[in-house]
Amino acid sequence: MDFNDNLPIYMQIMNLIKSKMVSGEISGGDKLPSVRELSKELKVNPNTIQRAYQELEREELVFTQRGMGTFVTEDIEIIKSLKRNMARELVDRFFMEMKKLGFNSDEVKSIVSDWSEKEERQ
Amino acid sequence: MKNIVEIKGLTKKYLNKTALNNINLNIEEGKVVGILGPNGSGKTTLIKILAGLLRQTSGEVLIDGKNIGVDTKSIVSYLPDRNFLYKWMKIEDAMNLYKDFYYDFDEKKFNDILSFMKLEKNMKIDSLSKGMHEKLNLSLILARNAKLYILDEPIAGVDSVARDQILDAIINNYNEKSSMLITTHLVRDMESMLDEVVFLKEGNIILTGNAEALREERGMQIDDIYKEVFGE
Amino acid sequence: MFKYMKYEVRGTYRYILGVLSLVLILTTALYIYFNRVTNTSSEMSALEGIFIGLSVLILFGTALATFLYIVGSFRKELYEDTGYLTFTLPLTGNQIVGSKLVVALIWFIFLGVVIGLYNLIMMLIFVPVEVNFSELFSALFEIVNIKQILFSVLLIILSIVNILVIIYFSMTISRVTFRNKRIGGLWFILFLVLSGLIIYGGVKISEIFPYYIDINTFKIGTMDTLDKLYMEINDDIVLSADMDILTTNIASTVYMIIVTVLLFLGTGYLVEKKIDL
Repeated sequence: MDFNDNLPIYMQIMNLIKSKMVSGEISGGDKLPSVRELSKELKVNPNTIQRAYQELEREELVFTQRGMGTFVTEDIEIIKSLKRNMARELVDRFFMEMKKLGFNSDEVKSIVSDWSEKEERQ
Repeated sequence: MKNIVEIKGLTKKYLNKTALNNINLNIEEGKVVGILGPNGSGKTTLIKILAGLLRQTSGEVLIDGKNIGVDTKSIVSYLPDRNFLYKWMKIEDAMNLYKDFYYDFDEKKFNDILSFMKLEKNMKIDSLSKGMHEKLNLSLILARNAKLYILDEPIAGVDSVARDQILDAIINNYNEKSSMLITTHLVRDMESMLDEVVFLKEGNIILTGNAEALREERGMQIDDIYKEVFGE
Repeated sequence: MFKYMKYEVRGTYRYILGVLSLVLILTTALYIYFNRVTNTSSEMSALEGIFIGLSVLILFGTALATFLYIVGSFRKELYEDTGYLTFTLPLTGNQIVGSKLVVALIWFIFLGVVIGLYNLIMMLIFVPVEVNFSELFSALFEIVNIKQILFSVLLIILSIVNILVIIYFSMTISRVTFRNKRIGGLWFILFLVLSGLIIYGGVKISEIFPYYIDINTFKIGTMDTLDKLYMEINDDIVLSADMDILTTNIASTVYMIIVTVLLFLGTGYLVEKKIDL
């Protein structure tokens, strides 16, 4: 994994796991890799992985069972709302970037519609 | 959390220069600390003092509560930045030497790391390339269950394949009972492995802290902070 | 410490065996050559001289080469990368220096004995002389007795150890004081100076304490009381001294031993506490 963002690594790991949860790559109830395993896989300090897991647990996205590991929450509502939040952040950022380029809201909307139509046709 | 290393007011002076100036540093059990700085900043001097190859001019250096000496040498696993094994040895001889002198040497661990590095015991040391040498040295150092590992520039001067193998081996070696002190100027490759970082410039500590906290504070990777701090 | 000696031996044995083989081959060649050539006894004496000369040369060459090699092994630790291994092992300075010293001594004794015996065997095979062993040995023992042999051996060992220790000490001191500059021959100068001083000291001490011990009789006294030195005043004044190797000055021997031990401990201390690699 390329840690080139300007975010602390634990946040980037959290984002990675969140994306997988939201896209369905990992489902509710699935066991996340152990701290050691993930640390070896990503070549990251285990304490950093640990922190990521702890923060995810604080956001109630995962839960830990002593001796068994860390698991994705089975609460579908939470995952749904995570999905919504992530989408909203992306959209916010998209609009901000477009505005920086000088587009106004109407222009952006028509560009997006055009893009959607093209997608559907394929 | 216990401190494995306690350094107070460490100074090392030579006739014409001060290599280390009033260094204060503590390293907790289980932490991986990176000493970052360009060549000549004093990293290797600091390491050599901890390893027992140099004496401090003044100040106190304690490893596991003891002064540097025979006792600390048996709990410190040191990886120098050069080929230090006796030239007549085969890999197997080096292993036996470590086994003989260090009670914390784990032969099985050594065999595992050695095969991971794609090296074999009957190879002669003087026939190894620089990369293979580095990997062998690291295998010996990590095969010990030491309280403190000191790695001096573990990935300098090796190709990217060897580098990945070395980083993998180091990560695999983590455990909460030991601490690791790593010096490097190749910050980008190593920074995700570090708990804490210490920036050393011309013998002085100019910045120190938890790696993640620094990233959050400054909104950039440690490598970028390094460039800021050391770039002129 | 024995563990380290094991590795010191393994690091040096190849060279030692190599030198030994070379010497044995040369010696054999010499004996065969001279055996072939000396068929007539008239040519004996001139060739005998050359023969003995060459043998001595070989012996001397071996001794010097081995000596330099063994001493170089210590120097290597101080100046080359292997010091990074040796001085981070959990060993005290005395253990490291002691191991090197003992192994060096073992090699010298080993080489001395093997080469000596080999020469003996060669002589018995090649020298065309009728040898009656019992006669030979009893004659030998009239000149020399067991005590003298033992004592000489002890003295030789003490001297070897003494020289080695002075060398080790000189090397270590020059390493400690001149950190980076590898002034190649500095240790040698120091060695010469130190040896000179020590010998001078020894002579002075034997003058101040002129008490000798005669190993044959274990009597202690001055040269006079031991009947070793006598003056006869007749018409001529005659001075005579009857010293043999078994009459040793007690004080200077003790002094030698003390100096050797002190230098050894000094080297050990420097190696452990003062070395800056």
